[in-house]
Order: sequence, then C-alpha cells, then structure tokens
Amino acid sequence: MDIDQLKQTLRHHVVQHYNIPADDAEFTDDVHLFDYGYVDSFGAVDLVGFVETSFGIKISHADLTAYPLNSINEIATFVSLRQRGEL
Amino acid sequence: MTTLTVPLKNTESTYLGQVRYALTFLSEDVVSYDISESDRAVHIRFRPGVDLDAMRARVETLLRRYDHSEFGLKSVLHFANKRDLPVIDAWAGLVARRWATPVGEGHVILRGPAAQLLALVDQKTQSVFAREFEAELELFPSTIQSKTLDRCNHYTSFPEHMDFVAHLKQDLEILGEFSQACREQGWSAGLHDGRMGPNDFAVSPSCCYHAYEGMEGWDLEKPGRCITAILHCHRYEGANHRYMSRMRAFTMREVIWVGQPGYVLASRARAEELMQKWAIEWGLSCSFETANDMFFTDDYSVKASFQRQQEAKRELRLDIPFEGGSISVFSSNFHAQTFGKAFGITVGGKPATSACVGWGGERWVYALFSQFGFDIDGWPSALQQEYKAFIAREAGS
Repeated sequence: MDIDQLKQTLRHHVVQHYNIPADDAEFTDDVHLFDYGYVDSFGAVDLVGFVETSFGIKISHADLTAYPLNSINEIATFVSLRQRGEL
Repeated sequence: MTTLTVPLKNTESTYLGQVRYALTFLSEDVVSYDISESDRAVHIRFRPGVDLDAMRARVETLLRRYDHSEFGLKSVLHFANKRDLPVIDAWAGLVARRWATPVGEGHVILRGPAAQLLALVDQKTQSVFAREFEAELELFPSTIQSKTLDRCNHYTSFPEHMDFVAHLKQDLEILGEFSQACREQGWSAGLHDGRMGPNDFAVSPSCCYHAYEGMEGWDLEKPGRCITAILHCHRYEGANHRYMSRMRAFTMREVIWVGQPGYVLASRARAEELMQKWAIEWGLSCSFETANDMFFTDDYSVKASFQRQQEAKRELRLDIPFEGGSISVFSSNFHAQTFGKAFGITVGGKPATSACVGWGGERWVYALFSQFGFDIDGWPSALQQEYKAFIAREAGS
C-alpha cells in the first residue's frame, strides 16, 4: 500500500468513525485531529487500534511521544516509514 | 485498629503520587495509610470491624487504574528557574503572625500581608494577562447548577471532590424542628438527616464552567472571545487537605478563551510565555511542565495519558522546600471542543474550542512566603517593589 492509499484508508476511517460531515472544509489531511476536536481521548484509543490492525504495525508509548501523530498526513507518513523498516 | 497490606504489582513510580492522593477516598473507615517504596506496598489502617477482604478488593480495583497508560506518560520540562532556598514553614509563620487563621477543614481567613499578596497576584493577572488579551470581565456566582457540572462531564472525572449544597426543606414542621433542636442542643450534622432539600447546586469546583454555561447557544464572531473571572471554588480533598497547598475552599482567577482553534491555541501559548516572564521577574524557583488532572474514575489512564500526550495541561510549579517538593500555582489547559459541543457554542457555525489559564490565589501566597520568608525587605527586588507599590496605592485609595 503506497502512502496515498494509506491516507485514503485513514481518511475514510476517520470520516466514517468520527462522523465528520462531507462538507467540512476544515477537515484536511493536515488538520490536527485532536486540537480541532475531530477525535477525543477515547477516539484516540480506537484510532491507534485501527492503525495497528489495518496496517500490521505496532505503535509504542515511545512512538507516541517521539513522533507527531496528530493528522492524517503525520500518521500515514509514520505508518509508511514503519512498514519499510525505516523507523 | 486493623491493618491491610496490598502489594504494588504493576504501578509505575510516576503514578505513586496519584495512588497516594486517591487512597483517602477508598472508604470512610480508613484511619491512615502510607505507601512504602522499599517493599512496594500500600499499608492501610482501618477502624475496627471493617471487612478486610472487601477493602482489599477495593484497593486492588483502585490500583488497576494506575497499572497501565494507553498513551504513555509523556513528561516534558518546558522551563525551569531554580535558586537555593531556605526551608521555611510558611503555614506556621502565617498563623503565628495572625496573617492566616484556619476556620475548618481546608478553609482559611487571610489578612494583612497575606491578603495583600493574594490581591497583588490577582491584580498582576489583570494588568498583564487580561490587558494583553482584552479579556472581558465576567462575574460568576460561587455556586453552580449540579446539572451544569453533569454537562461538563465533571462527575465522570472528579466525583470525589464535589461539595454539593442544599437547603432545609420548605416545610414548616421541619424548619421548626431544626430551629428548636439548635436552640436546645446546638447544631450538629445529624440534624440534617431527612430534612434537606435536593442538591441542585454545588459550590463550583472550577472557575470556567460558568463561562461556557453563560454562552450556551451563542455563535461567536471569529476568532472568538476572551473572558476573565475570579471565583471562590471548593474541592473536597479528604485526608489530602493541607494548609495552604491543598485547600477545600480557595480562590481561582482564570483567563478563558473560546473560539477558533488557531486563536485559542495561540492565545494559550502567549499566556504561557507571559507567565514564564513573570516567574523570572519575581525570581521564583519553579518549573513549567506537562501535567495531568487527578481523574478519579476507572478511565483515569486513558484520560490522563492522553492529556499528557497532547500536552493539554501544563503547570507552573513553585518549589516548597519545607514540603520537599513543589506545588502547582498556575495551570494552562486546552479543552478542544469539549465545552463548545456541550453547550452548543459555535464560531463560524462550527463547535468552538476553548482553553483557560488559572491561578490559585492561596497557593501563590503560601509559595511566596515559603520561598522568600516574612522579611519583605529581603524579597527579590521586583516582587518587593511591586508589593510596596501595591500597598502604597491601596493606602492612597
């Protein structure tokens, strides 16, 4: 799965799972999902689980502290690098 | 007295402070407790006759809250300003000078320099922060509707420190009985049994909830608005009450932003800069760091670790050598859309975000006397000058 496919999968999940309206102009791949209120603390637990299950990677506490994982782009970039063994 | 020992199997050292805080709420039969790091166990002493198996199960349930963390325990020191400090028992000094008088558990009357210092700190929040952000003054009642706190999800995070209020029932017989009993025997808590009305109000545990309640249904102009308010708040702390670092009744000043995320986050960041500048000016021995609230429910680990991971809470902590630690005197909090959604506050049609910064008045007083003592001429020059100028202005007015 290339990075564009990763983003598309993530975007689809976030829109569906967190009830984001289709006409929400602020919702972009760069938007901070937590600061902008799209995902709360319990949603974040689900999102980490979704990423681990769907993309076959593990996200550790150290990862959450070391890497920004707050937007579609940031998560997709992290997944791509982890899958390639570069993180 | 009966003693129970429960091993700390999976609790990280970082969380022992939270465990210590929480244990007071285990049961009203708890007499005392301590946590031994050497044998990694909790030792609790109970009143005679307590069901130890039931208490053990409670302790184990409590400890499970702290044996994992979904998002890790991010800890970031953003700023520190350290100085050598003497060890001063500020509370004893304040009481001896009659600048502070305890009036019941976690309640205190301040007077003289202690009261003036609290007023100076509050005035500085207004001259620096309220002016910088053009904050609009709002005046809040001390009590808040119990249902408002429910909408703020307060009870699902902090049920333990609620101080609900109630009035005697509107009933001629009950009012007469109560009054007569007080006349004959004096007041006692037992006279309330069966005679109180519903607890539809509580003493507000925080300053900013009224701000959101007051804006219910508003669609704000972009980028949003800034409010300032001061409130006498209550938080019941059980055995954790300490004069004057953990009070049941305390003064909280807040500056609150409600609006678009960019505006709210930039304002919060600017306020943190201003606070650090103030700490340096006054020569405070302090640190500014990532923090979390003492969420008192089984979802503690999700909320606290996410709050830390997102840096939704940061605190300025002032060193208190007498206590061998530090206390938070300023907190900076980001709530995302929690209150915007709860109260239907929008900006440009979207749920508003919010943030607040808050100062605990009595803690500032306690920390300043703890760090610098009672000889005002020996205080750091900026603090000394501002204090003396404040006194002169007050005397002039």
